[in-house]
Amino acid sequence: MQENLSAAVAAAPGRRKAGITQGWLLLGLGLAMLAAMLVLTIFAPLVAPYDPSATSPDSLAPASAAHWLGTDSIGRDVLSRLIVGGRTTLLITVTAVLIALVAGLILGLAAGYLGGFVDEIIMRVLDVVFAFPVLLLAIAVVAALGPTVPNLILTIAIVYTPAMARVVRAPVLSVKQWDHVEAARSVGMSEMRLVLRHILPIVVSPILVATSLTLSQTIFTVTALSFLGLGPPPPDPNWGGMLSEARQFMELAPLTVVGPAAAIVFATLTFIIIANGLREVLDVGSVR
Amino acid sequence: MTRFVLGRLAWMAAILLGVSLVAFMLMRAIPGDFAIAAAGSQSVGPEVLAAIRRDLGLDQPLLAQYLSWLGHALMGDFGSSFVTRQPVLGELASRLAVTFQLTSLAAIIAAVMGVATGLAAARLRGATDWLVRLWNGLMLAVPNYVVATLIVLLFGLYFPEITVLGYTPFLENPLANLGSLLLPAFALALAVSVTVAENTRAAVLEVANQDFVMVARAKGLKPGTILRDYLMRNALTPVITAAGLKIAALLGGSILVETIFAIPGMGQYLFDSINSRDYPVIQAIVLVAAGIVVLVNTVIDIAYARIDARVQM
Amino acid sequence: MNGPLLRVRDLTATVTTRREVIQAVRGISFDINADEAVGFVGESGCGKSVTAKALMRIAPEGAAVGLGGSVSFWGQELLGLGEDEMRDLRGRRIAMVFQDPMTSLNPVMSIGAQMADMLHRHLGLTGRPARERSVELLDLVGIPDPARRIDDFPHQFSGGQRQRVLIAIAISCEPDLLIADEPTTALDVTVQAQILRLLLRLREERGMALMLITHDFGVVAGMVDRVNVMYRGEIVETGPVDDVFARPQHTYTRTLLDAVPRLQGAGVVR
Repeated sequence: MQENLSAAVAAAPGRRKAGITQGWLLLGLGLAMLAAMLVLTIFAPLVAPYDPSATSPDSLAPASAAHWLGTDSIGRDVLSRLIVGGRTTLLITVTAVLIALVAGLILGLAAGYLGGFVDEIIMRVLDVVFAFPVLLLAIAVVAALGPTVPNLILTIAIVYTPAMARVVRAPVLSVKQWDHVEAARSVGMSEMRLVLRHILPIVVSPILVATSLTLSQTIFTVTALSFLGLGPPPPDPNWGGMLSEARQFMELAPLTVVGPAAAIVFATLTFIIIANGLREVLDVGSVR
Repeated sequence: MTRFVLGRLAWMAAILLGVSLVAFMLMRAIPGDFAIAAAGSQSVGPEVLAAIRRDLGLDQPLLAQYLSWLGHALMGDFGSSFVTRQPVLGELASRLAVTFQLTSLAAIIAAVMGVATGLAAARLRGATDWLVRLWNGLMLAVPNYVVATLIVLLFGLYFPEITVLGYTPFLENPLANLGSLLLPAFALALAVSVTVAENTRAAVLEVANQDFVMVARAKGLKPGTILRDYLMRNALTPVITAAGLKIAALLGGSILVETIFAIPGMGQYLFDSINSRDYPVIQAIVLVAAGIVVLVNTVIDIAYARIDARVQM
Repeated sequence: MNGPLLRVRDLTATVTTRREVIQAVRGISFDINADEAVGFVGESGCGKSVTAKALMRIAPEGAAVGLGGSVSFWGQELLGLGEDEMRDLRGRRIAMVFQDPMTSLNPVMSIGAQMADMLHRHLGLTGRPARERSVELLDLVGIPDPARRIDDFPHQFSGGQRQRVLIAIAISCEPDLLIADEPTTALDVTVQAQILRLLLRLREERGMALMLITHDFGVVAGMVDRVNVMYRGEIVETGPVDDVFARPQHTYTRTLLDAVPRLQGAGVVR
């Protein structure tokens, strides 16, 4: 998954400016999808037609006017669980990626800007983390720490930090040779201001793209962990867990599987579309 | 070249050391007492726990514990399962063989599907290109375990007479063995094939613009010859490299897919061990899987550098 | 044999790329006789390269080329020919040498393999006979120690040597017409003269017709019998090379002639 990210970011220079309108279109679509998802999940308790944990004798019911997506094996409303479950899943995803982003920014800026020994140490340590398959490392960490929401967030953040740090470091390395950076340094601008005023803005575009791609991959990792039973503890619903629970009776009520599956795909697709839109709009390839 | 290879190998050794340290520390970080976990019950007497501690070397300093664990691991001794009390190695080896089969088959499927669709998109352009890119865009958003679950669902709904779950060992019935792995391998391969297809498409489009392709046409060569010797042989090098780096994704994905299709591979073993808190097994699998990924990536690095040296000046 | 080797009448070429449509060749007519060397001179973008590719009916990748008029080769109309027949003709009867030898060879095939595939395609030679023939050809174009070098890859050759290899490939099936599209532009000055001399020698030895395309009057002088000056997709002046040199009629020709460095210009008078 991480290889995917760096490959996608590296592949960006091939794109041309011809896609400006297409880029805005993609970005608009992606942001609209994101907005819809956020509204639904933020106001989940108001939107959801039922209490997601309330059971009823009407189990494994097909879709009906009362239950749009039917009910699960103990009679809970699938739609309500999807909406409320999205809350948990997206909360973990977004928080974890934000933490990874901040950590990656600090480490990447430090490594790229300070260079030399600091760069070596930071990048070598991150390389070790990078060597693990993402899901495997996440499983190991969660298995060791125990599956709670804070632990999940921490785990995901740890797993994706190296990729973010790499994305930050590469442009910083090239940017800091630039003339206007030299000029700023020669007129005595402080190091801190130099980083904030001149270096940070240049690296923002690739980071935005990388962040939205990471978000799409994090959805995968978070739901996969829940699917394996390493998600947030029951009875709170989450997408991966719902998919896993529903498998037992899925032939009797296909919607119990199709619902969470569609939600996961929708969320992943949203972030991929945003990433592609951003890449074209910001013309990430030109950042050199 | 020799210096490069030696450098990569030294780097690989360093990474593996780091990986082993992470694998070791993770299992020491588990909440509660490792000895209680080893005993498998809270209600054992203190003298039993003390015996277990001595047995596992938990009374030693942490560094000594790590070195001893690493030394044994290097010899293939990953300790004994908390659950079965059997050495981890034997079970792990047989599980690894199954996972190897599954991921190999998935790699083949991904390569064939990816190269075929990517090539079709690049050569035919137009509607085919558009369709392939749309398909790729969509499939990138469908996680492999969702694909696997939906496959099981569809077969359960529409072809209930076909058994999709379970695994037949190769030695028992080679054909049934292949059959039992085909659907899981497909589920595993789908996402990877998308990456291969996108890479192939980009590479073929780039190579097609090269002068030597025009020279080949001016030579009057047949389209098939040009495709094989001039386009594909040049386009596939970067594709193979990128695909090789997906080995990690395949190994990671196998955890989920094996669990869904009830394939007794390393992934399912890991899943079961997580549920039973069988830490030595988890530790061994994490170490072995990460080791395989590091090894494969190093081999690809070296192989690619060799090809590069021959092609470039 | 009666009539010219190549008779081109009112040839037009419209190049369509994703971005634009260009009328690259606007109705040109010329003849090339067997055994004759004809130069095509003009600045880049004047349509000379498109003309050359039109004769072989190959379009640049990603562009579509619409052709009009008539191209008759030994009396056979090429523009209406099926793609299979055209393919039999390419390389076999009309061969081409391109501008940039650095990018014109397939980097992952040995040069022997790149010679053999053409010999196999047109002459049915495989294995040992193909190899022996390739070694002969490499020797002919002046590659030292050809028997050993034949298994080398393109990156092991210099630019000039690569162009020699490409010429060896082009003449390997004894074509009637060799088109050389700016064959020396990408090379060092000293190597340029060697390659031109090689082309001249091969043409005389083998009795091929040669169509030499260049932007540099200094290159065609002493190389060709007749010269066509092209400007904006049209032939603006044509005649024996010495006449055109001595008495240029068109202002554009004079501009081109002035662009030839004095030293080189002085050397061209035979």
